[in-house]
Amino acid sequence: MTVLRINGEDRHFEKTLPATLADLLGLMKVDAATVVAEIDGQIIKKDDFGSTKLSTGQKIELIRLVGGG
Amino acid sequence: MNDKLIIAGKEFDSRLFIGTGKFSSNKIMADAIESSGTQMVTVALRRVDIDNPNDNMLAAIDRKKYLLLPNTSGARNADEAVRLARLARAATGIIWLKLEVTPDPYYLLPDPIETLKAAEILVKEGFIVLPYINADPVLAKKLQDAGVATVMPLASPIGSNQGLKTKSAIEIIIAQATVPVVVDAGLGMPSHAAEAMEMGADAVLVNTAIAAAKNPVQMANAFKKAVQAGRQAFLAGGAEVKRQADASSPLTGFLRE
Repeated sequence: MTVLRINGEDRHFEKTLPATLADLLGLMKVDAATVVAEIDGQIIKKDDFGSTKLSTGQKIELIRLVGGG
Repeated sequence: MNDKLIIAGKEFDSRLFIGTGKFSSNKIMADAIESSGTQMVTVALRRVDIDNPNDNMLAAIDRKKYLLLPNTSGARNADEAVRLARLARAATGIIWLKLEVTPDPYYLLPDPIETLKAAEILVKEGFIVLPYINADPVLAKKLQDAGVATVMPLASPIGSNQGLKTKSAIEIIIAQATVPVVVDAGLGMPSHAAEAMEMGADAVLVNTAIAAAKNPVQMANAFKKAVQAGRQAFLAGGAEVKRQADASSPLTGFLRE
């Protein structure tokens, strides 16, 4: 079993994890241009999404700008 | 009239900043922003909604016309605010930041100690920090000393539309300020904004009063005019307030015996 904790919720993958952060975003249909990502508390630069490998158990935060005061 | 607002070296013609929360649609938000004449709009950072991942309000904001001011809303202490600030910078490339630390969800009053702590860290990291604070003149001075770009005292609790409940404290903050004073939170009607500007506030920040109005686009334009009128009145210098009448018409030449 492989799992990532994404935005506070466990997400299970049947066989293998997406290879990279960019692959995960693609799978989730999230436009990479509009998000900022944090893995285990470390901010990942947008340029590094494609080269950032994922491993089971990681805590991933996908964050974006929303309306606010 | 050459009357620019300058914050951290950047010039603004408009002294009205707009918050982008609570609008019923991105279209109405964009139209209200346009109608307000603002040049700076605040935004927040939140988790991507996994079930609706492509709701992108940012597409509705022309970033060439409007400077984005990310906020740290949701932060309950300095550590959380610093984390949000770094994420905001990574997300936008913008080093401008509305620092807000509000541990109490009921009144949403800012925590002065944690705000000062976060400001000291973020100024050192190169952020242009605009802290949201209670109307506390001592705190405002300490933040100035820490190198913030403005101070942003609240008029009344966020979203309450109560107007300038903290007027006398804001007057002291303005009198002591070496950085622009932006009255933020609680301004419910254009008259409140005008009053703040007449007192000598450098700018105001408005969100709920516009977003929750029946017609946000019209209300945004009303705030634009009120802020301009208040600013112009401040520059013009108000006439003295007196205890008794002082006739406006001549007291000579009456048509009587």
